[in-house]
Amino acid sequence: MYLLWLRIAAILYGIASLSAFRAVFGHRSVWRRICLPISVAAWLFHVVSAVEMLVLAHRWMPVGMHEVQSILALLIVTVFLVIALRYRTLSFGIFALPLAFLLVVVPTLGPDRHTFSSPVIRSGWLLLHITALLAAYAALIFSLLASLFYLFQERRLKSKRSPGFLNWLPPLDTMDQIAQKTLVLGFHCMTIGLFAGSIIAQESVGPAYFADPKIWLSFVMWGLYVIMLFVRRSTGLRGRRAVYLSSAVFVVMLCVWAANLLSSVHRFSAP
Amino acid sequence: MKILLTGLNHKTAPVELRERLAIAPEELAGETRALISHPGIREGLILSTCNRVELLVCYDGSEPELASYLNERFAVDSQSLQPHLYQHRESEAVLHLFRVAASLDSMVVGEPQILGQVKQSYAAARSVGAVGGNLERLLQGAFSAAKKVRTETQIGASSVSIASVAVDLARKIFGSLEGKRVLLVGAGKMSELAARHLMQHGAGSLLISNRTHERALSLAQKFKGHVVRFDDLHERADEADILITSTGSPEFIFRTQHAQQFLHRRRNRPMFIIDIAVPRDVDPEINRLDGIFLYDIDDLQSVAVSNLSDRGREAQRAEEILEQELARYQRRIESLDIVPALVDLQAVAEDIRQAELRRAQSRLQSLTPAQQNAVEVLTRGIVNKFLHQPLRVLKAAAREGDLVTVEAIRAAFGFNGSRNETDISLTHTAETANLSDEPAMTTTRDDHD
Repeated sequence: MYLLWLRIAAILYGIASLSAFRAVFGHRSVWRRICLPISVAAWLFHVVSAVEMLVLAHRWMPVGMHEVQSILALLIVTVFLVIALRYRTLSFGIFALPLAFLLVVVPTLGPDRHTFSSPVIRSGWLLLHITALLAAYAALIFSLLASLFYLFQERRLKSKRSPGFLNWLPPLDTMDQIAQKTLVLGFHCMTIGLFAGSIIAQESVGPAYFADPKIWLSFVMWGLYVIMLFVRRSTGLRGRRAVYLSSAVFVVMLCVWAANLLSSVHRFSAP
Repeated sequence: MKILLTGLNHKTAPVELRERLAIAPEELAGETRALISHPGIREGLILSTCNRVELLVCYDGSEPELASYLNERFAVDSQSLQPHLYQHRESEAVLHLFRVAASLDSMVVGEPQILGQVKQSYAAARSVGAVGGNLERLLQGAFSAAKKVRTETQIGASSVSIASVAVDLARKIFGSLEGKRVLLVGAGKMSELAARHLMQHGAGSLLISNRTHERALSLAQKFKGHVVRFDDLHERADEADILITSTGSPEFIFRTQHAQQFLHRRRNRPMFIIDIAVPRDVDPEINRLDGIFLYDIDDLQSVAVSNLSDRGREAQRAEEILEQELARYQRRIESLDIVPALVDLQAVAEDIRQAELRRAQSRLQSLTPAQQNAVEVLTRGIVNKFLHQPLRVLKAAAREGDLVTVEAIRAAFGFNGSRNETDISLTHTAETANLSDEPAMTTTRDDHD
């Protein structure tokens, strides 16, 4: 049954994506009115689907790529909804909603074939580790988006030509606040996630775990994150340089994500 | 009832003439009362703004002489008035009113005040009983058309004055202007206007700096702001989020190194600088710095001009919407014209009565002429009594503009206003009625037997 809810959520994400584009680039206010309710409806179906999926599996942790993608999409939409309600802007929807749609398309095809069962996946630490890191990824995506929007709006205001196709960009101050707050949220989530991961690693693998490239990259990302936060906070860094910093962390984040392929210990296989 | 609109506006008459005809808002009601007291005028409304004076009337019989009314009322001789007047009748008058309400006929196309002024005139006319069913429908149509133009086009979305462009840009930078501090350097009409506009849109406080300290003090008193000594300007300018400068200085007052200091002290928080001075007070190189947004008078002007041309494009879309709204209004008026429907309904009922009498002729032959006359009176009475209530409701609905009831009655009696369609549908109704009446007639025959 959870697949049905997920498929409905995917269809609604598709419609919400279209309405977000029409709301941001079009003139008719009807799209602005329907975009948020459709997104909320899609999110609710998605939550029901995720809960049912995990209850059926008798665990609270997403296992396998399909489940992780689905949960990441859910977190991205959650952040989008919080931003839309708090800052009254749908601009992030033109990226967040299609991204959520694309992320859930594959999971709607069926359960992941390459799944595994291990007693570890019922560990609370592991659940905390994965959920916190996924939330950090979602927050970082929004921080990067907000920084990019800031850059475009800054360029637009400085050029004084006011191209109409960029009218939808939110004010600079709004994007600065979103970029800062999502960055701080992402940092907290990442710290919690890495801390939980370290405890699990100490208990299950021992010091050898920390020689793995995936783990190294994770700590490099955390280090960069700390630097970025420090620089932004101490100098009030905005605009182009802020985008460079956010982009650097984002690229490392993608590397960390991709490093699963290289990792020898960051794998869970059935005993 | 016919519609006539007469008036003059900024395109047809100079301001000298418009100001002679202008009517103050508090006098509108009295003037409208005087207008509808003219013979033949049933309903009326006067629209008087700085750019137009228009009289809109609904009348019966011969066309009222509105031009002579204006001559007499405002003591303007007809020779100087006549060349500037325009007159629109029926659908032309309706379309003109729609265009006025939607701000397509305004000096600054898309400005929002005109709709409020039309509503003010409507309220004044209503207060003296000058608005009946016809004008009510017409004005509601105009309000609805104007609203549609506002929501479906971007005609009023962009600013076209220097001061409002400045506010728009400030909003693009700071989001809300709430709590933002404005620094006014120097004094000039334009900079004062921009500062006032920013304060009206929520800017928190105003700092004023002028070479002449007394002038700064008087401005501070006027705007309830605080004075910054001109000598301290570079030390304190970073306190402001928005800096408006318009001094008569022949050299730049703010250079790149000053702006760098501002940014440093503001920890890179953005700063919006509006340089209205000619020659300019701010080195244009400052705009290269991240976080500084510098606009001079030409920049603001070019944004305003570009927005104005955007409005022109949107106005074309708005014209199409108004054409559709006019067609909709006319369909509605035609639907409410129930005279043909009343005639049809009565005629068809009479046809049915006659047909039924003919069918029963063989059985009625045995009656005496007096009895036959009684049957005639009886059937006519039944038909009239039966039609009385629907006709009464139909007339009331048409009077009230209740299109739903009119349509419901039309549907219930199966006619659409044209006699041919009515004949077909009612003949069918009669046949159906006959079929269903058959057992009753048989029973009657049995009774006689």
